[in-house]
Parts: sequence; C-alpha cells; structure tokens
Amino acid sequence: MMNNNRMLNQPSEQLNALAHSFEHGLEIGQHYVKLLSKLAQTDDAHDLLAATDELVNLDLDDAFVKFPQHYQVADYYLLLMGRLLEMHSNEELKITEDPTSHRFYATISSLGENVLFHFTKDAEGNAAFTDVNDNEPLFFLSLEHQMLRFNNKALVNYFIIKGLKKYSDLDLRSAIKPLLLFAQVLHDDLDFVIDRGILGTNNEQHYDLAKPELSLTVIDRLFVATAENDYMLFNLPKNNGAELRLDRQVNLELSFDPDDYSQQWFFAVHDPNNQVSFFDLLLHYQLIRDWYLSNRDSLAVKSDPLMFADDEREEQEESVTTESTVED
Amino acid sequence: MANSGHEQAARDVSGIINQRISEKVSFLRQVEEAVKDHHDKKIYQLLDTQRYAKEIEHREQQPNNQSVMSLVDDITNYLSNFLSVNLINYLGKKYPFFYYEEYETGHYRIYFGNWWDRREFGELDVLNVRFLFNDDEYDKLKKTFELAHNNKRYNSDKIDKISAENDRLQDLIDHQREREEKRAKLQEQLKDVSSRSGIWESSKNKESRQNLLDALQKLEDEEEEARTAAQTIKDNEQVVLSLSKENTILSYEQKSILDTFSSFEDFELANRNLYANYIKSLSDDGEKQVTDDEQ
Repeated sequence: MMNNNRMLNQPSEQLNALAHSFEHGLEIGQHYVKLLSKLAQTDDAHDLLAATDELVNLDLDDAFVKFPQHYQVADYYLLLMGRLLEMHSNEELKITEDPTSHRFYATISSLGENVLFHFTKDAEGNAAFTDVNDNEPLFFLSLEHQMLRFNNKALVNYFIIKGLKKYSDLDLRSAIKPLLLFAQVLHDDLDFVIDRGILGTNNEQHYDLAKPELSLTVIDRLFVATAENDYMLFNLPKNNGAELRLDRQVNLELSFDPDDYSQQWFFAVHDPNNQVSFFDLLLHYQLIRDWYLSNRDSLAVKSDPLMFADDEREEQEESVTTESTVED
Repeated sequence: MANSGHEQAARDVSGIINQRISEKVSFLRQVEEAVKDHHDKKIYQLLDTQRYAKEIEHREQQPNNQSVMSLVDDITNYLSNFLSVNLINYLGKKYPFFYYEEYETGHYRIYFGNWWDRREFGELDVLNVRFLFNDDEYDKLKKTFELAHNNKRYNSDKIDKISAENDRLQDLIDHQREREEKRAKLQEQLKDVSSRSGIWESSKNKESRQNLLDALQKLEDEEEEARTAAQTIKDNEQVVLSLSKENTILSYEQKSILDTFSSFEDFELANRNLYANYIKSLSDDGEKQVTDDEQ
C-alpha cells in the first residue's frame, strides 16, 4: 500500500489533487447550471420534477469553488409550481423575481399584485405555500413522498375570515383555482397523492370534525338561523344528523354513520354534479359561514399536517404505492 | 182465535228475523266484497251511509243503520289500517308536510314536518277521514299566522324580554369597576357623616346617613347579582334558544302551509272538505283503483 502523505509531498501530485478538487467543484457548478436550465426550459413534467428535486437537495458548498448563493431552496418549489401551471396555460398565477433580494414570489391575478405568496420549508422537509405576510400554510408539499395536502384550518383563516373582508366570494373562488390546478397537475402528470381537504368536491367525501363529540345544541343554532332565510334544515331518516337544503339541489349534511360505533361526525356536501366543496359553501353562504365560525370550536374540520412517520406501516405502504406509480 | 194470532205473530217474528239477518248478511257480504276488491269508496259508504249520502250524493235523510254497522265494530282497527294505505298516499300529495306513525294497529300519530325539530300534531282518524289536531299545537300555529301580519313571531315578546334582561346583566358585569369607585366614595362620605352622629345627631344628618347606607346596600345588591350574572346569562341563552327553536318550527310550518295552500284559511277549508274531496277522488271501480296504485 502506498503512503498518501508521501505521495502528496510531491508538488505535482499536490497540484493534481488541487486540480481534481477544483474540477469537482466545477462539476457541481456545471450540474447546477444544467439543472437550472432544465427547470427553466423543459416541457416535460417528469424532467421538471427531477430537476427541482435535485436542486432542492443540491449542496453547492465546496471548499475550493464558491458559488454566490442565488436562490433559496423554497424558491425552486415556487418555480416548479409556476412552470407546471405555465405548461397547462394557467395565467392566474404569476411568478416574479424580486430584483434586490433575488427571491421569487407568486401573485394571483384576482387578489392583485400586492399579495405575494411563497414557499417556506419546515423541519420535516415539507414545503408550505403561504402569503408572505401571513403564516397560514395553505397547502403542504412533499417532493420526497410525492404528496400535496391542503390545510383546512389555514384555508378557513386565510380565505374565509381574512379574505372576505377585502375580496368578493367570486374573487376568492378564482384565487383558489390555480392552487387546485397545481394539485390536479401534480396528480395527473406526476402521480402525486393529493388531499384537497375542504376543497374536495366529491359527494362521497367526508370532512371529519376534529372534536370527537358534537353537542346537538350546535345544530339547533343552525336550525334557528335558518328561520331568517329560505333554506330549511331537515332531520336525517335515521336520526343521525341534519341536512341543510340549499339552492340548485345542493345539500350540506352534518351527520355520523349510524352503523359506526365511534359516531364520528362529519360534513358532506351533495350536489348533482360533484362540483361543490364544503369550502364553496363557507365562501358563498353567509348562513353557513356565520354558523361555522361562531361555533368553530365544535365544528372545526380536521386539519392534518403532512407527517410521515416511518415506523407506521400504513404510511410506508402509502409511499410505496406512490413510488411504484411513478415508475409506470 | 188466540192460536192463529200467535201463529200470525210467529210468522211476523220470523219474517223480521229473516229480514234482519238478510240485511246483516247483505251488509257483511258487501263489506267482504269491497275489501276483496279494495273498493275503498264502497267501504266508506258502508261505514257511514248517512255522511256518504249527504256529502257525496248530496242526499239528506239517509239514517245510518246502526244495527248492521255495529257488526264491524270489533274490526275497525283493521279496517282503519286497511283504508290508511290509500288515504295516506292521497294525503302525502295534498299535505306533503304531514308524516304519520302507526303507533298501534289502525291508529296514526301526525307529525308536522321532517325537519330538525318537529312537533307531534295530533292524530289521523282514517275511518272518518279527518285530522284530530292537538288543540294546543293547533292554536300556536293559528296564532303564528295572526302574528305574522304584524311581522312578529310566536315567542318574540318573551325573547325580547329575556334579551333585555341579559343586556342589563351584562351591563352589571361590565360596570364592576365603576361600582367599586362609587362604593369607596360613599364609604368615605359615610365616615364623614358618621363622625357627626351621636346622641345629638341632627335629623338632617340622620337622613343623609340613611341615604348613604341605602345607596351602599343598593350597590351591594348589584354586586351580588353581578356575581351570578354570567351563569344567569348562560341559562337565559338556553331559554332563548329553545324559544327560538319553537319560533323556527312554527315558521317552517307556516312556510309549508303557504307553499301548499295560499293561506291558513284555505288550509282550514281543505280540512273541512277533506272527507268529500278524498272520497270523490277514489275510483268507483275498486279493481281499477288498485291498478292505479300499483303503477
């Protein structure tokens, strides 16, 4: 075996080693540049995701070659979002770079140019999409686990409580669209698992309440509130909850499965075309909004963060399925 | 000729018996036949010939033959159950807001609505085709319609009174600091006045001392009330909620009646004519009616 120390004592070897080190640093840089141009130019969703994933995890630090820190990790998420939406010709969400900080921001046309969004990264490595002046994570995104989950609590706080003070329900409805499209594209093009939360429109979807029990007094309050308008609150046939009949055959149900021992209460929205979400009802119906917000302690819908506990089999199976679909 | 008179009487008696029996047999045969064909109209005619003649055929003077009608007295519950099928089906269309529960064979409770909270509203008398509304519940509804002319609800006054009381209690809670300041001031004054009391206390001094004591007592009473006010407010809110629930139920009932009949008076009129309207709606031909129902 050769002695390293002795070899490095030779000047030519030292130079060589230095050159190798520089070369390595430059390779990182070249790779970085390649990834950046792929992120900027590719029209393939899979390439885009791969580039983003690498950029997010790329360590530019090198002892010999220093690159100016230009973008932050969270920016790549926003660029991914912008590019994917651009590929599906959505123009409601625009990505712009702040000329001084070199940070990227998103604006949504119906909210105006002064409302800026970005991603932040949490300790678990998930990215959260938020208003820069607001700490409400509207959705969480994990590239590693290929999952996107909307956050119910933040959606209510940001759009229903704060948003409606400044914007019309229709503006807010348009503001949600690019976010939903992003989720849809991640699902359709990249096989991500999506949890739309209260934005989900499927009639079968249950929006579980966070609290295990519900006092019927809370439903009484909705009943009393309906006296002032045209909508009526009906009892369900098995006495397992109530149904509020709204316009155009849209119904909001608050009930539990009578055969379910746990009696988990949940909201469900039924409409003829599977197009209406619980969020839509909160946004468009003052009756429901006022009632929900003034009884939020009891009525709050579950709002799970993105958490991946590796020791839980269920979660592992979920990520295995996700990975296998990517390979298809 | 006593004997022949007897024979004559015996012939008369047997004639009477034969006639009565054949009447009964004929009645029972007709009932049997009508039930077999589900000829409800015929059954109603047989059960109350007098009313049928008056309200359907517009003929007076058709007394009921109690002696034959009493033959079915012990099966009225079953007849009621039997006739309820078509009647409830009919009522479902004419009175879409009523729901029926058969709590024993042939006996039906009426519920008003299937909304979140609803009232038991009386009973359905199937054999006589009429509603037997619960007087108290019916009066509430009637009153609701009267009050609606003045844009008022059944419990509005009670709710307003309790709400005002809650406002007053909330005020007591909110002004605790002011009370304390006032009390300190009064006590200061009392000390001052008391220093001038004694055996030679002037009546004027005595009077102002008493006034101060009264004012302090009043503050103490308010303080006492304020201590329990939060709970009282909560209790009152529960009372208001149940009064509001009753208001809501009544407004749903009012809405339903207006949706189906254009006024409460029309609703009452329909109830009065229910027998005639229902019987007329029934087919003259039992068989046909059954096929209609099966379609």
